[in-house]
Amino acid sequence: MTQQAPPPALTPEVQAMIGVSGDVVESWGVVDGEYMRRFSQALMDPDPRYWDDDFAKSTRYGELITPPIMVSYLASRIRPDQGDPITAAFEENPESDGIGSVERPGELPPVPTNLVRVLNAGNELELYAYPSIGDTIFFQNRYSDIRERLGRDGTPFLIITRETRYWNQDDVTLCITRASTIRR
Amino acid sequence: MTTLLDDLLNMEPEEIWRRNERPDADGLRDKTQIYYGDVNEGDELPKYIYKPTPTHLFRWSAAIENFHRIHYDLDFGLNHDRNPSILVHGSWKQSVVPQYLKDWTLPNGWPWQARFEHRAMLVPGDILIMWGRVTSKYEKNQMGFIELEIGMKTQDGIESMPGTATVVLPLKDGPPIPYPFVPPAD
Repeated sequence: MTQQAPPPALTPEVQAMIGVSGDVVESWGVVDGEYMRRFSQALMDPDPRYWDDDFAKSTRYGELITPPIMVSYLASRIRPDQGDPITAAFEENPESDGIGSVERPGELPPVPTNLVRVLNAGNELELYAYPSIGDTIFFQNRYSDIRERLGRDGTPFLIITRETRYWNQDDVTLCITRASTIRR
Repeated sequence: MTTLLDDLLNMEPEEIWRRNERPDADGLRDKTQIYYGDVNEGDELPKYIYKPTPTHLFRWSAAIENFHRIHYDLDFGLNHDRNPSILVHGSWKQSVVPQYLKDWTLPNGWPWQARFEHRAMLVPGDILIMWGRVTSKYEKNQMGFIELEIGMKTQDGIESMPGTATVVLPLKDGPPIPYPFVPPAD
């Protein structure tokens, strides 16, 4: 009996998702010194460029800066007008993993595939400028790449790359992050 | 001169910890510039050593508002997700990368790009070594580009975050690196 080749994972519908973008999102609040203090202490980065105003003025930046990709976490803060997703998650499932089904603004539509197992395949960072205290942060997600690969058993799987660009109120790009996931 | 990675991996955990080269605030304030011409292929960057505890993990979860229980709820981690313990966050590891590159290129260089994968589960009690090694260098638009191999190894030599990075260092008599950074056209 001849074995049939497995169907391709990169269908025309999946391929059509490349380049699809989410909404432009203005993050809640601004880059603030207190968020930065907690972040840099948890990161264990004692750089005085983050907190010593006089010293920061003497550097090439001329002002306090904040850690390079801090905005990627700050931008995903749960907004106060979003209710209480943690309590909701545990009401829905007492064994919740603590994340539940929190909806993040600017999310991308799902890729139309039956491959449901998700594995982390890697990250990329591109840095252009340090966020400043007081900056308003905007971001936008997009599917920058989707590729098909074959597993060792010949079964096709997908590598899906989601790119997020962060910029400030002056339209200065601060950083671009890319997260790739394997869908098997 | 930094302790070589291979030498560190032959040491006992407490000896590795004593070789920690993470700078304090004054070290970062007074950092002297490394220029493109100072760097050679094969050079190793300083080693940042970490000893994460459950409290460090909790502090990171709270700072970035990541409520995933695998990072702070031992019972959940062991019995629900069948992990060996609570897990060090990938988000923390990936935030160490730009910090590490920033520190090395201070005060006037630029930590431009990094690419890496998350492998291995890291847990409290591990000794973690953030490391980097120069693989090549080239000049473009009067800037010095340094290609690096980077990673974060455990005391047992398990690589948890293999990757590469590109940083920019000034030439000794060259112009300042533009800020915000403008990469050269291909």
